[in-house]
Amino acid sequence: MIEMIHVSKAYEGNPHALFDITIRVEKGQFIYLFGPNGAGKSTLLKLLYAAERPTSGEVRVNGFDLVRLKPRRIPSLRRTLGLVFQDLKLLQRRTAEENIAFALEALGAEKGEVLKKANQALRWVGLERRATCLPSELSAGEQQRLAVARAIINDPVLLLADEPTGNLSLAAAEETIRLFEKINLRGTTVVLATHNEGLVNRWPKDKIILEQGRVSESPLAPPSANG
Amino acid sequence: MNGSFLRQTWQNLVQNPWLNAITLGTIALSFLVLGLFLVVFLNTKGLLEEWGSRIRVTAYLSGPVDPDQAMRLKEKVQGLEEVREVQYRSKEEALRILEERMPERKEWLRGLPRNPLPASLEVHLKGEYQNSEGVQSLVKKMRGIPGIEDLQYGSDWLEKFSAFMALLKVLGLSLGGLLLLATILVISNTIRLNIFARKEEIEIMRSVGATGFFIRAPFYMEGILQGFLGAVLALAMLYAFFQLFLSRVYEPLKGLLGSFPVQFLTWEQMAAMGLGGVVLGLFGTQVSVGRYLRL
Repeated sequence: MIEMIHVSKAYEGNPHALFDITIRVEKGQFIYLFGPNGAGKSTLLKLLYAAERPTSGEVRVNGFDLVRLKPRRIPSLRRTLGLVFQDLKLLQRRTAEENIAFALEALGAEKGEVLKKANQALRWVGLERRATCLPSELSAGEQQRLAVARAIINDPVLLLADEPTGNLSLAAAEETIRLFEKINLRGTTVVLATHNEGLVNRWPKDKIILEQGRVSESPLAPPSANG
Repeated sequence: MNGSFLRQTWQNLVQNPWLNAITLGTIALSFLVLGLFLVVFLNTKGLLEEWGSRIRVTAYLSGPVDPDQAMRLKEKVQGLEEVREVQYRSKEEALRILEERMPERKEWLRGLPRNPLPASLEVHLKGEYQNSEGVQSLVKKMRGIPGIEDLQYGSDWLEKFSAFMALLKVLGLSLGGLLLLATILVISNTIRLNIFARKEEIEIMRSVGATGFFIRAPFYMEGILQGFLGAVLALAMLYAFFQLFLSRVYEPLKGLLGSFPVQFLTWEQMAAMGLGGVVLGLFGTQVSVGRYLRL
């Protein structure tokens, strides 16, 4: 599913954004990528959906070798993934339904199928009555669920979420976690990046702890890479 | 899938209606100026060719010429490389023509003790020699022929006209080049602004795995559409101007211009302009997509 072996990522001015990361995430797992702000969580996620390439090391996701992946093959990788961004990336001038439809259309779905699937997704996240609302008319929790609905529209095998509960109340955060659990139960692997210790303690799962670009704790990392 | 492309293209166009209208207007204006140059150039060229076909050299023959002598001279001149046709005009014929042209002097002309007009050969040149060099070369050869006293030809105006045509060509090409460059820049700028306006949508498309082709295609279609519509709009305006010229300028001045028919662009030339619009659109889009839409 996910395999990173001795992965490092350096930027100009930040030579150890990630340093010697070795992790494994198995199919069907629900795992937190936990660490304080600036620990490298977002960078690690970017490596997983090929928005960035590692400076060194090996990265394999859903059978794709991301170090050798040709740019024109990136869409094929992304179609196996669901991405939930920290800033949600909702289209503010389009309704909830249109936001989902847009993603489906971008994948070349037929018009009839687009509407059907968009409504199914909205129902699945409990937003069927808010289909015609603009994102600005939705609560923070509802916006988050809309972003999740869009991410799972293509039945991804792996869902990557970056701080999805960052701006949410406790109740809304719980709702979001429950939603991710529901998705996980369908067989989708979930990697959820968060700096929220309360969340991790309240709904405990396996976790990879990142600190200053290094893994300090990982449940399934090979023993040789832990030192 | 095609429906989605068209929808995206349409959205790009309506998202910034003013920007797209200005772009279309600029493209149309550029093509209009180019088209005007083309029409003027082609017609002037036609006119020059028409006038060129009227070029002739008149050889006046010395003294009284008997028909046999005249025939021999005619054959000799006819044998020259530059010559298409030679017409012999006897002294009597020359006088008759003059009488026709000056009917009020007819009596006076008839009263002359002897015919003062010389016999002549009217020499018409072959198409490829209907220019100043051709005339000069022919005149040089004819000067050496005994029996020919004087030669009359006029090629100064032709030289000046050729120089004017060359200037028109250079002016048209350089202005045309500049306008085409400006058009490419205007199109690329519009596409760039549309790329920025749709930045979030592009990010989402990328994140869900839309192919590069799917993301880029609407921008290319937009550029092509703008280029093509701009060219068509320019052709429509050009045609309107042409009709206006015909009715306001050409018809009243027809007597001066002679029988030369003014022509609009041919279908092939119009199609080439449309195609030019498409190519410019593609080019303009490529500039911005290559720079701002790296996937």
